[in-house]
Amino acid sequence: MKQYRTILPFIKQHKAQYIFGVLALIFVDITHLLVPQVLRVFADLAQKGELNVERIMFCALAVIVLGLCVAIGRYGWRMNIFGTARKLEYWLRAKLFNKYLSLDDTFFNYHRTGDLMAHVTNDVLMVRNSMGGGIIMIIDSIFMTIFTGIMMIYTVGLKTAMIALTALPLLTIFVFTVLKPMQLRSRRVQDSFSDMTNEVQENISSIHNIKAFGIENNRSRSFSRVNQDYQRKNIEMMRLSALFDPIVSLISGIAFVIFIIYGIYRLLDGSMSLGDFVAVVDYLRLMIWPLIAIAMVVNSFQRGIASMTRINEILSAESKILETAAPSKMDLNNVKIEFKDVSFRYDKKSPWVLKNISFVLENQKSIAILGRTGSGKSTIINLLLRRYDVSSGQILLNDVDIRDMALTDLYKAIALAEQDSFLFSRSIAGNIAFSSSDEDQDYDLNKVRSSAEFSQIAQDIEEMPEGYSTWVGERGVTLSGGQKQRISIARAHYKNTKVLVLDDSLSAVDTNTEKSILDHLKKYQQSLILVSQRVSTVQTADQILVLEDGEITQRGDHISLSQDTEGFYARLYHRQLLESELAEEGRHK
Amino acid sequence: MSNQAKLNADYEKEQLESRKKFSLKRLYGYALPHWKKFLLVIVLIIITTGVTLIQPKLIQLLIDNQFTVLSDRTASSAEQNLATANTIKISLLYLGTLIIAFVTNYGQAYLLQTTGQEILRHIRQNLYNHILHLPTSFFDHYPLGSLVTRVTNDTENLNEMFTSVLSNLIRNLFNLSGIMVIMFLMNYKLASLILILLPLVIFISIVFRKAIRKVYFAQRRVLALINTKLSENISGMRTIQIFNRTRQTETEFDQVNQEYLALSRKELKYFSIYRPSIEVIQSLGIAALIWFGSKGNMRGLISFGVLYAFIDYIQRFFRPIFELSETFNLIQSAITSTSRIFHLMDEPLESRGGNLRISKYGLKGEIEFKNVWFAYNEGEWILKDVSFKVEPGQFVAFVGATGAGKSTIMHLICRFYDINRGQILIDGHDIKEYNLKDLRRAIGVVQQDVFIYSGSIADNITLNRENVDYEAARKAAALVNADQFINKLPQRYREYLTERGSTLSAGQRQLLSFARTVAAQPSILVLDEATANIDTETEFLIQDAIRNMAQQRSMLAVAHRISTIADADNIIVLHHGRLAEQGTKDELLAQDGLFKVLYKLQFQENK
Repeated sequence: MKQYRTILPFIKQHKAQYIFGVLALIFVDITHLLVPQVLRVFADLAQKGELNVERIMFCALAVIVLGLCVAIGRYGWRMNIFGTARKLEYWLRAKLFNKYLSLDDTFFNYHRTGDLMAHVTNDVLMVRNSMGGGIIMIIDSIFMTIFTGIMMIYTVGLKTAMIALTALPLLTIFVFTVLKPMQLRSRRVQDSFSDMTNEVQENISSIHNIKAFGIENNRSRSFSRVNQDYQRKNIEMMRLSALFDPIVSLISGIAFVIFIIYGIYRLLDGSMSLGDFVAVVDYLRLMIWPLIAIAMVVNSFQRGIASMTRINEILSAESKILETAAPSKMDLNNVKIEFKDVSFRYDKKSPWVLKNISFVLENQKSIAILGRTGSGKSTIINLLLRRYDVSSGQILLNDVDIRDMALTDLYKAIALAEQDSFLFSRSIAGNIAFSSSDEDQDYDLNKVRSSAEFSQIAQDIEEMPEGYSTWVGERGVTLSGGQKQRISIARAHYKNTKVLVLDDSLSAVDTNTEKSILDHLKKYQQSLILVSQRVSTVQTADQILVLEDGEITQRGDHISLSQDTEGFYARLYHRQLLESELAEEGRHK
Repeated sequence: MSNQAKLNADYEKEQLESRKKFSLKRLYGYALPHWKKFLLVIVLIIITTGVTLIQPKLIQLLIDNQFTVLSDRTASSAEQNLATANTIKISLLYLGTLIIAFVTNYGQAYLLQTTGQEILRHIRQNLYNHILHLPTSFFDHYPLGSLVTRVTNDTENLNEMFTSVLSNLIRNLFNLSGIMVIMFLMNYKLASLILILLPLVIFISIVFRKAIRKVYFAQRRVLALINTKLSENISGMRTIQIFNRTRQTETEFDQVNQEYLALSRKELKYFSIYRPSIEVIQSLGIAALIWFGSKGNMRGLISFGVLYAFIDYIQRFFRPIFELSETFNLIQSAITSTSRIFHLMDEPLESRGGNLRISKYGLKGEIEFKNVWFAYNEGEWILKDVSFKVEPGQFVAFVGATGAGKSTIMHLICRFYDINRGQILIDGHDIKEYNLKDLRRAIGVVQQDVFIYSGSIADNITLNRENVDYEAARKAAALVNADQFINKLPQRYREYLTERGSTLSAGQRQLLSFARTVAAQPSILVLDEATANIDTETEFLIQDAIRNMAQQRSMLAVAHRISTIADADNIIVLHHGRLAEQGTKDELLAQDGLFKVLYKLQFQENK
């Protein structure tokens, strides 16, 4: 149960609700137990023929009053205990989500999105159930068992009560024995279900293959295997679970029969009245639920503990990127960036990704990084943005190690547009003004428009029926790769930083648009970092670094680099010239 | 909150449509063949209900006859002995009803579940088969994720419909009417007293149902929103952090989270009012029974046993009402899922093609494109007025920049899509005249991404096609040089491959797919960028394999590497959807056109 320590602050905060809820529950339980007493008195009076209008009235009123008390009390505990459990769900969900917001790329690389989502939805729900229904069941089963026991002993004496209850512990034992295998079988159903999901997913994703080979029937047979397996697993589970209700009725019924037969002798020697009999029968009925509940509590908390453990794992995860406790005060009006002998690898066993990278980017200057896929270009950007920390060497911003800066300061200084940039489900304007600190929709639309013009996307947007309010993302319009890239450039531009990083973010944009974006860039007093595989993108930069296998193999400007005809840069330049020649030729046809 | 409104509108539309399209008839069409089992289930439920409802009656008999005698001090010992014997008899009878109820109850649940699962398996299989036979263009627009959901989760929701909903409905209705009948038989005056309460209960239940339905709909919408937000923010975490937007994201998420909490507490509140209010009515009923019943009792009209039985029955009477109100939510989600499933099943199937059959000797392999125009999306022409001819046995290669329309030509030959204008002829017949299955069997396609199914190597080559046996598989593997690596595997052709074939190298997988294709002896071979992912080690093997395969059949190839198509009989250069140049390699090089540029580029790369 120590896993629940995480929610201790919440419980302390809501102590009052829990206490009130539990009191209401006990109140309901006690009131419940009084109803059979009323019926007992009534039965005895009826049998003795001592009923009169007043007594009848008393009994009827008592039943109504008790009923009202139960109703009010039940509303009270439901709202307090279940209600607090729902608040707990909210609280835990927020806690987890906020934790995600603080974790770094390394964490997200090692955890699948679906799994992280499951923590926030399923696991939180499990904890909620254990803290709502679970608590109710604990209290209810303990109090009801004790109180009912006391009332029975009070009504018919210890011995008769014991005999009436003999069969009932069987219920608890039955539920206990059945729960484990039931969980096991239900796990098997889940596994089979995910097998089936996989089968469908994989086959439909290769539907072209299936059609080309005309093997629809073969695939259909293959599916029917998992389909049958799923059916079988389900039936195996229900074979057990369907036993639950019938067995409960059977065992409680047997307890009842035992009591009747024993009751004959008690009635014969006059030590039990008809009223006592009626009351005990009612008590027996009240006793069934708590006895089942005991076993279910265990189950509910077992699941709760498993989920709590998973949640705790996330909550105790630590970012590898640690913000310094006393960040340096930064003046971000001018920004100079320096890489000093930076090397990087993901961990001690992995190969080096970057080796001895050094360069300086002065304020308002531009630097370009050119290299093939996998040469380490984007890693340089990741290090600059402190997505990872350097393995050796230093990255300095205005001569301060970026590890000594507040992360928000770092991000205030640098804006990034990536090749595969992520757009959110919101309007285009909302996406462009993503960095705006204003609340939703309060951003400056003129600024949005000028950013869109900057990245040459304004015309595309205006042609859409809903313009800047056009919804993008899952339920929104589909944008082409080039459009997405240009929106992400507009987004980075809107942020209005001293340094702009374009990480291959022009790859899906055609050459003419690229050229006019690059021309625009120069008008702004920004430092620029351009990352690309295309010479056309990088050629205007003040300084060009050629990156091969994590090392800088060439550096200089366009003119000096293209003169080294055997070098990577010149060869690539020549090749790309040919390609554009090809494209040109096509256009003239 | 325009997005909210949008989502709301979407949701309502979906709901509306679902009700319109939902046809119980169709769903129960699947159940009809099992009518005998369902009949048995109903009989079992009736027995269970009947037997359970006798139980309070038995107690009534005990109280009224036996117990009165037993507790009567003045009764003779003979009377008491008789009463004792009768009590034991009735107890045993009671035990009997317990055992019968146990058996019929379990039997009923078991039968219903097995039948329900059988029906579901059937629906799932039909749905999956339907999907497999949908036209290729369907998959371009329908998200894969939704298809998977239809087959798995939506059918799962139906499960509730056939199992818990159905049995609950039948059982509770029988219970209710059974209790009413017994009560009327025992004492119609007291029973009509109870009947007066019924409209009150129904009224409260209807009000509750309406209120809770709204909450459930809203809850589902917000839950979907939470999931979207989660998946999106987790995927876009990097952007959020870099753009210093964590604080706003936190607030945004908190908004939906709070909204969900509010709805969730509303749901709780409705339930917390509903159940207790029904219980109050129940108490009123008991009080009324005591009041009127005991007056009758005093006048000797009603025995105490009957009164007791009534109190018992009234408690049983309310349980079905609770249960019915709780199945309501399940019915709702089942209806939505049903309509989604049938909606998908109503998607028109891919055409079977014409009536022209292809004999087992195959085609000659003459292919002709006559002024073919084609667009995936209206207005965006991918192929513009393309014409060319492939003579039987020829090797024709297609080159051009990405997006020039090379792969599209391959798709059109297999009739994955129908063209917009022009004609495609094979052996002089329009491809629409051919039976589609025959056509695709006659054309062997090797694609860029090779899909490995879990199963043995042999299974992966034969793919259980009727015209491909084990021997053909071995021959095909030998022809494409795949036997070399297969024979090195511990189990050879019996070697088990896992899905995605992770144990094989890219080159090995490609060879396997060559073998798979040629095993069926296609008359026309289509290589769609089949050599894109090949390492230099296997390149030689592949070259050789292609040469072997090309013998005696027409071959069309799209290739990145000019080296793989150097000895083609005809090279067709595509540019922006038009046929730009054609001829042999030497002819084209002499022309000094597009091909020459492409060739130089390749040469550059290899240097």
